[in-house]
Amino acid sequence: MSRHPTNAGGVQNPSGSAVPGASATAQRPGDVRPNAVTGPPPGPRGSRGRGVSGFWTYALRRALLIPVQLGFVLLILYSAANLPATFAKGRPGFLEGFSHFLVNNFNGNWGAPSGRLVGFALVGHTWAQVFAAYIPSSIQMGAFALPIAAALAYPVSLLAGWSPRQWLDTPARYLTLLGALLPVVVVGVLVYTALFFPFLNAFQDIPGSGLIPYPLWPGFIAGYPSWIHEYVTSPTGFPLVDALIHHAWLIAEITFVKTVIQASVVAVAYVAVFFRHARSIVRAARDSAHITGARAIGVSERKLLWRYAAKGVTPTFFLIFALTIPQFLGILFAVQIAFNDTDCFGYLLFVNLGNLPVMDALIFLIAIVVLVWTFVVDLIAVRLDPRGAMAR
Amino acid sequence: MRGGAVADSPTDPSPSPQPSLRARWARRPPPFEFWIGSVLLGTYLMVGLSALVVFRNSLAVLPKNQAWVPPFSPIGPSWAHPFGVMPGFGTDLFRAIWQATPWDLAIVAGILFVDVSLGLLLGATAGFYEGGVVDAVVTFVGDSLGSVPPYLLLIVVFVGLGAGAPGAVGLPAFVLLFGLILWPTMARTVRERARILTHEGFVEASRASGATPRRVLVRHIVPNSLGPVLAQLPIDIAPIFFVLSVLPWFADCQNTYIANPLRPYIVPALPVGSPLPSVSFPEWGFLLGFGTCEGLGFPVGPTYWWMYLFPLLAILGLGFAVAFVCDGIERWRRLER
Repeated sequence: MSRHPTNAGGVQNPSGSAVPGASATAQRPGDVRPNAVTGPPPGPRGSRGRGVSGFWTYALRRALLIPVQLGFVLLILYSAANLPATFAKGRPGFLEGFSHFLVNNFNGNWGAPSGRLVGFALVGHTWAQVFAAYIPSSIQMGAFALPIAAALAYPVSLLAGWSPRQWLDTPARYLTLLGALLPVVVVGVLVYTALFFPFLNAFQDIPGSGLIPYPLWPGFIAGYPSWIHEYVTSPTGFPLVDALIHHAWLIAEITFVKTVIQASVVAVAYVAVFFRHARSIVRAARDSAHITGARAIGVSERKLLWRYAAKGVTPTFFLIFALTIPQFLGILFAVQIAFNDTDCFGYLLFVNLGNLPVMDALIFLIAIVVLVWTFVVDLIAVRLDPRGAMAR
Repeated sequence: MRGGAVADSPTDPSPSPQPSLRARWARRPPPFEFWIGSVLLGTYLMVGLSALVVFRNSLAVLPKNQAWVPPFSPIGPSWAHPFGVMPGFGTDLFRAIWQATPWDLAIVAGILFVDVSLGLLLGATAGFYEGGVVDAVVTFVGDSLGSVPPYLLLIVVFVGLGAGAPGAVGLPAFVLLFGLILWPTMARTVRERARILTHEGFVEASRASGATPRRVLVRHIVPNSLGPVLAQLPIDIAPIFFVLSVLPWFADCQNTYIANPLRPYIVPALPVGSPLPSVSFPEWGFLLGFGTCEGLGFPVGPTYWWMYLFPLLAILGLGFAVAFVCDGIERWRRLER
């Protein structure tokens, strides 16, 4: 995703697909360079000095690329969203239009450019205030969804990619395709509907409409407690953390269950995206030289899989996650819309659909998060397996 | 797929040692999944063609029967209405899905055509000329576009288009723009395959025998880079229907419904910048999204299951048909080697 132009690419899999961007670990036929997927090369590894130097050079190159990519995203947003309107109004100069776009869209005063003020308490608020209100709940849900997704995808991908038999791989492939084809909004609404009455019976609350209990919840008859104001909790903004800080155990319990339900939907939908990439990496690792060698001397398949192959593919799994983070965020927002989470980022996007300046700013924010996240995860992956940096 | 080096020489008229497609087909027929997918796809094509003939005068508009519009009780599947009735539209769902088939096949085919054409051509060129200008541009554009969830980018484009040039908003623009947003993913996977192929022995042999770079690219790199395309193609169908099925949600059907939960029907509406020409336009994704709103909303529960199940099955069937065909071809290619 956000890799150096000459290094981006993918790891080839036996079925012909590839993992976008994981070029650092890809090898040409006959190439004996060390490879993160296929395991250690024959002979001694490279010196630490070379690896560290390669790492920092790579980190610097990657860091310098981020502002350029962000500039390109801005240009795309301007061209896509504003150019038709600009042309329709008499074709002012491109630079003039672009400067207008930057000033109007990123002046920090939400809703002001279009005059349409939507969402909760957006009037005259700055970015920081709005983000402080909407982002923590999304982070909380993402923090739950990621481990659930990892717990599902990691073993399933390993097993399906490893098994040479079709009985496991074929169903896994088509099940994940099914997961990808099912629109996540529909899945979210299905889960919401299925859990509505059980949740109501258990907690006297509904499974959606925000991560904290709904305003009609019996516990809120006398009004919100002082630490909740217009769906936003204080002091941290993270509903679960704040409930625990204030010893509101029941609110914490409801918030926890709501978060886990929604995070599970996100995780299941995301596994479909993750699986197809991860499986190909495991498949490449299965046929690597050191695994074949270990198999030849009698190491059991179970040990080969969980001790050698799993260790070897973990850094590449990190990369795949970094590369598919836009899809993860897309799914996260869609689930928040399906559950009508009025305190989450997806809802902010949803209610501002017709408000181009706000949409542009939100998408730009997402691009920053994705590019920085990709950068960080990429560096972690290289740190975990410096052979990747050397290969660059 | 691999061409022989001798036959690639522009000066050598000798026939290729590679067997013809018919010979290969006779020697090893394609695997079972290819046939399942082909039959499924063929069925979709037949249904689409029959819709073109039967509804030729009213293909783009669903008929509205006022007798089925609320407050009339929704009609479930029966002999008269095999897929039930969609009350908000006031239309028979079987007819709606049938009528939508040629439109959806055209939308999917159009988007995938743009996606594959650009992705294959640019990806193969970028991989073949690794480190060159095309490679740098393709990778940079792909990486940058990939930093934004595709459907959000598409929505912004359409809202902008609707505000600035409403006349340009429509299905052709939707197909073109969606293809333009999807191609970078395809190009990146193809690029990697092409990069590896460039150093394969048969490509080196072809070069050594005097084939021009363009000939090597067209004759060897592009055909042999089809593997990633076949793997990616079924996945690229998913976001198309995701966007189309989410349209009714952006038209506030969810909030309308929650605001008045005792009214079990919703009037269909199009959101700002919608690519569909009208609310009565037959389209599976829109029917699915609307059916989910209307048939599965709070607190009705899954009572009106037909409203979302049949459009969903139509979408899943097409996705699996394409996946079966692609996987079958890919497996056949692998076995052939």
